Amino acid sequence: MTYAFPLAIIFNTLAIVVFLVYWGGSFIILYHLTRFGIGVQPKKFAAIFLFGSVVLSGTAIILFMNLDTNLLIPR
Amino acid sequence: MIKRLLSIFRDSPNSFEGQEKEERVALLLRQHPFIILVPLTLFGLAGLVPIVVGVIFWSYLSVHGWLHLYLFVSSIWFSGLWLAIFHSLTMYTLNTVIITDRRVIDSDQHGLFNRKISELHSHRIQDVSVHTNGIIETFLRFGDVMVQTAGSEKQFVFHQIPQPDRVKDVIMQMARSRDSGVKTVVQ
Repeated sequence: MTYAFPLAIIFNTLAIVVFLVYWGGSFIILYHLTRFGIGVQPKKFAAIFLFGSVVLSGTAIILFMNLDTNLLIPR
Repeated sequence: MIKRLLSIFRDSPNSFEGQEKEERVALLLRQHPFIILVPLTLFGLAGLVPIVVGVIFWSYLSVHGWLHLYLFVSSIWFSGLWLAIFHSLTMYTLNTVIITDRRVIDSDQHGLFNRKISELHSHRIQDVSVHTNGIIETFLRFGDVMVQTAGSEKQFVFHQIPQPDRVKDVIMQMARSRDSGVKTVVQ
């Protein structure tokens, strides 16, 4: 039980960092597709990418909420 | 309103940054889709990894209560793959050749922050040649288009362009019409 508190903090911080890195990368890709893309193809890609990113990160967040970090502590 | 918003996914005048007034885009070229198919297939195979792991170790994961952890790690894996897939697609999409009635613009995207744009005015075009190499390029009808110029950059090469013969004809037509003053119509 003494482990649980710092481990939870480490996991939450790690998850936030991963989430921020993911959306930082997503922003760069979306920016390039919409800013420099010529024609309809980049816009279609940007829309599909945004939709998929929202779905995937939403799924990851839900799965992270269900995660029991106590299971990861070696007994 | 919604119709107008959705029209950006259907119609485009292929306008680009730095386009001159009344400059008309004749062709917008990208590499043949086969080129992007190879990395996409590899990413597809990488997407099978969590599924295979899940099938093999399902009982082990459920016994130890690690199912939620497995699903979470899988979702991170798929998110990373999603980013990698669209990084490749972005590189593919932004590598373009624009042929207008005045010039040829070659945009080479080497990385997200590494881009080279070369421009060639039609009056500098001297010679256009096509190079199709190998069985795949022959059957799928794509190849390299080489434009000989009178400028400092002696040769422009557009790699793996679909229907290179047609592109060659269009470029030559543009160069000729520029000299004669007759406007070309590309179908």
